[in-house]
Amino acid sequence: MEFNKTYIGRVLCTIKSLLTGLKTTLKEFFTRKVTEQYPENRKTQKISDRHRAMLYMPLDENGNNKCIACGLCANNCPNGTITIKTKMVTDEETGKSKKVLDEYIYDLGCCMYCQICVNVCPKDAIAFNNHFENAVFDRKKLIIKLNK
Amino acid sequence: MSPEFIELEILRPRMEELHRNGMDFLRDIIGMDWGEEGLGAIYALENSSTHENIQIAVRCTDREKPQIPSVCDLWSVAEFYEREVYDFFGIVFTGHPDMRRLYLRNDWIGYPLRKDYDESEAINPIRMESEVPEDLQRQSEIEEDAARELFVKQTNKIFGDQYIINIGPQHPATHGVLRFRLALDGEEIRKIDVHCGYIHRGIEKLSEKLTYPQILAFTDRLDYLSAHQNRHALCMCIEKAIGLDITDRTQYIRTIMDELQRIDSHLLFLSCAAMDLGAITTFIYGFRDREKILDIFEEVTGGRLIQNYNIIGGVQADITPDFANKVKEYCKYQKEKIKEYNDVFTYNTITRKRMIGVGKISREDAISYGCTGGTGRAAGWACDVRKRHPYALYDKVDFKEILYTNGDCYDRYLVRLDEIMESIHIIEQLIDNIPDGDYKVKTKPIIRIPEGRYSASVEGSRGEFGVFIESHGDKSPYRIKFRPMGLPLVAAMHKILKGAKVADLIAIGATLDYVIPDIDR
Amino acid sequence: MLDFNTITTAIDQYLHSIMPAQAAIVTECILVALCAVLAYVAFAIVMIFMERKVCAAFQCRLGPMRVGPWGLLQVFADVFKMLIKEIISIDRSDKVLYNLAPYLVVMSSVLTFSCLPFADGLQVLDFNIGVFFIMAASSFGVLGILLAGWSSNNKYSMIGAVRSGAQMISYELSIGLCILVIVVLSGTMQISELVEAQRDGWFIFKGHIPAFIAFIIYLIAGNAETNRAPFDLPEAESELTAGFHTEYSGMHFGFFYVAEFMNLFIVAGIASTLFFGGWAPLHIAGFDMFNDIMNYIPGSIWFLGKTFFVIWLLMWVRWTFPRMRIDQVVSLEWKYLLPIGLVNLLIMTICVVMGWTF
Repeated sequence: MEFNKTYIGRVLCTIKSLLTGLKTTLKEFFTRKVTEQYPENRKTQKISDRHRAMLYMPLDENGNNKCIACGLCANNCPNGTITIKTKMVTDEETGKSKKVLDEYIYDLGCCMYCQICVNVCPKDAIAFNNHFENAVFDRKKLIIKLNK
Repeated sequence: MSPEFIELEILRPRMEELHRNGMDFLRDIIGMDWGEEGLGAIYALENSSTHENIQIAVRCTDREKPQIPSVCDLWSVAEFYEREVYDFFGIVFTGHPDMRRLYLRNDWIGYPLRKDYDESEAINPIRMESEVPEDLQRQSEIEEDAARELFVKQTNKIFGDQYIINIGPQHPATHGVLRFRLALDGEEIRKIDVHCGYIHRGIEKLSEKLTYPQILAFTDRLDYLSAHQNRHALCMCIEKAIGLDITDRTQYIRTIMDELQRIDSHLLFLSCAAMDLGAITTFIYGFRDREKILDIFEEVTGGRLIQNYNIIGGVQADITPDFANKVKEYCKYQKEKIKEYNDVFTYNTITRKRMIGVGKISREDAISYGCTGGTGRAAGWACDVRKRHPYALYDKVDFKEILYTNGDCYDRYLVRLDEIMESIHIIEQLIDNIPDGDYKVKTKPIIRIPEGRYSASVEGSRGEFGVFIESHGDKSPYRIKFRPMGLPLVAAMHKILKGAKVADLIAIGATLDYVIPDIDR
Repeated sequence: MLDFNTITTAIDQYLHSIMPAQAAIVTECILVALCAVLAYVAFAIVMIFMERKVCAAFQCRLGPMRVGPWGLLQVFADVFKMLIKEIISIDRSDKVLYNLAPYLVVMSSVLTFSCLPFADGLQVLDFNIGVFFIMAASSFGVLGILLAGWSSNNKYSMIGAVRSGAQMISYELSIGLCILVIVVLSGTMQISELVEAQRDGWFIFKGHIPAFIAFIIYLIAGNAETNRAPFDLPEAESELTAGFHTEYSGMHFGFFYVAEFMNLFIVAGIASTLFFGGWAPLHIAGFDMFNDIMNYIPGSIWFLGKTFFVIWLLMWVRWTFPRMRIDQVVSLEWKYLLPIGLVNLLIMTICVVMGWTF
């Protein structure tokens, strides 16, 4: 009979395996801890640039957004997160009336971050940023007007 | 591959013949509503030794009382698949021993995946009272005892008068909202009844109204621990259907990400298995290391759990410049940490005693129940899709399929542990050779799939994940079906649980490693 | 060395001088009870904090850091939370037993707690069968757990309670045998005498191999007795959600929680009394200088130091191992610990008879 099948052998093998476990945890007892202390580490904390937290409208150097109010994003959103309100503006030079963006309303509470709106946008007028601290006490505050 | 349509009358003899000829793995039963042509089902079968595939379709023109003969005596997993089809299409499988709804409440009116289903809330309002189990017949016999306590004498169709205990829907060990009803004799389990559907979101139904890019967003939310692989499967299926060739660079990125996701999932498996067995320290160690993968994911894809990375024709964004270095660094780190898990948990006598010989499933049963993934491989069934039907780069890399023979909890655990190493091995072969090129190819703004039926499957983190699309040429699918990885595992529960104790149920549940949103879809 | 006997005697004489004898005794009883309960709570708070920090350290975490510096006030916040929580009454539960159960558990552990020798003379209960009394008092805690499980009208609680009964009754035997080994070695059952006998050397050194084996078995059995991992099946949070106290809330739950921690303290305290000499300092025969230095450290420090070391050992075990299954727990006791304990008792008896002890 093998030694580790006998009564004494089993007891000794058990003790050995248990001691190995104890040794491992003891080693961890003295290693550096990995906890990240979130609000305190805000300054050093790094969130990936690609992290999707909230939709925003990047502005060009003149401070204008690039939206042409085509409505592709709103139509493609599976959750109906985006509402676009347009207005007609008459161009002073040509005299033609043109549809421009009035209000770009984004409901953060409904967004599932599928990125389809960003993908379909022909002008790259919208993008996601990584400002992730979006908790609010009222759902209404999650409905955001993106264009300024 | 298009299914072979056969007459309803010859379904049984044909199926019996196929089963005799080695088609022993029933991959899926897809319920269908073809409108005027009637309701029906598509059976996806596979030969477990030659990996030959076949799809059998059957139609039943009677919409009022559709009936199809059951095949659950040939493939045990059909018991649950047929219940699912019954639940959503109202097709009664004659000869099925337990034709109850699987996901929806018993008092649900109508069959939601039928095309003529009325969705109005007046028919199925939100019900505020809890569901009375179908098998529980309240009898009027109420005895009033001395303490004025009311005891309702109940007889139970399924359990008789055994001691019944609920595990779930809210229970720490079911890893989500799954509910088991157990009949106990002391600590021993006599019988189990599985209730699914607590987080069923009707993704397949929703998909029928959405465009293909929109459906992609759902796949991450099926089995959230195989988010990447799920999405890979759907992208692959659509790309195949519209005849889109994707670049080598995309293939490399997808394969690496698939394997990272697999490590992520297996680490979570290991941690949760340890926690279910009471070793909370091991749980934290596993999560500590999983965090490193999640950081890589976040850096590259922008998401930690819901990554949203694969898109039709490529990936969402190119990998970051330091991706390769970070992954290599991580692989080195992880290899060392596996030793720590081994020391503190794997080789621990208590773990071994809790797992070895517990919850055995034989190879035959694993095939019959369609338990792919770690569960099947622990029982000795070579069921890895990466080997069976290689996709992406899996025919170019060198890796071995981890196989064990006992099919018990410990083997299921070891399969996962070894697969972490194997995944690291795959990643190391690819990470230095990512070719230059585009990370995505341009697609049409509106994707329409030509008429036909398409399917694709990948090796998810816990089994074969399959996608089936029937398209009628529109921009949304006529029917889309995801093959769940977890449902066969849950279906096999009652077989695996023979003679187990309550504590074993936890060990078995942990090592089967089902994810509920994948079962419930 | 600080002798508490002088202080207690002084208080006793003072009370007798200002009031009649009977009233003095009643006042003393109240004072002692108050001190014991206060000490009990104080130690519980220290223990809970220690458990959190030690567990966190084993798990590569920092543990509580928010409330107060290094989370020092966390336990107070928790106690406050528990105090303001509603005590829910469960439908169709056995109200009397349901409310009685937590008090039984706490009572048993307070009684056992009062037997611990914190320092020379600083001991509430000390009589000739002290060890025997500890066994008796600690074992009726299981009654509270059984009642809690039974009266809750919850199937999880019921299974947890029955598991607990099977487990605790089994492991009482091993604890008894280990204590018997020490009783054989020392020839007394009185706790103060047990400690006195270890002034010149702790029993773990005096009794060498059999005492060491007894110590290990005592730790395992004591761990099982306190329902801590790997023997936490009565609670088994991943199986039975919270086992026997699933249905308890507020301070009723708090009692179970505190009693669990204090039972750990008691098990460790008894271990340090029986094997590490209680408040007796470390003495090595022949090194008089060393012995003198050791004598300067007060007895209570010695006792608490030893006790907390044993507690740390038990926490280390708890946060390393997975949970066992009920049949494994019972077979570990009856197939391994009990036979080994019996053989060990025999060896100790032979050692004592042959004079093979130090």
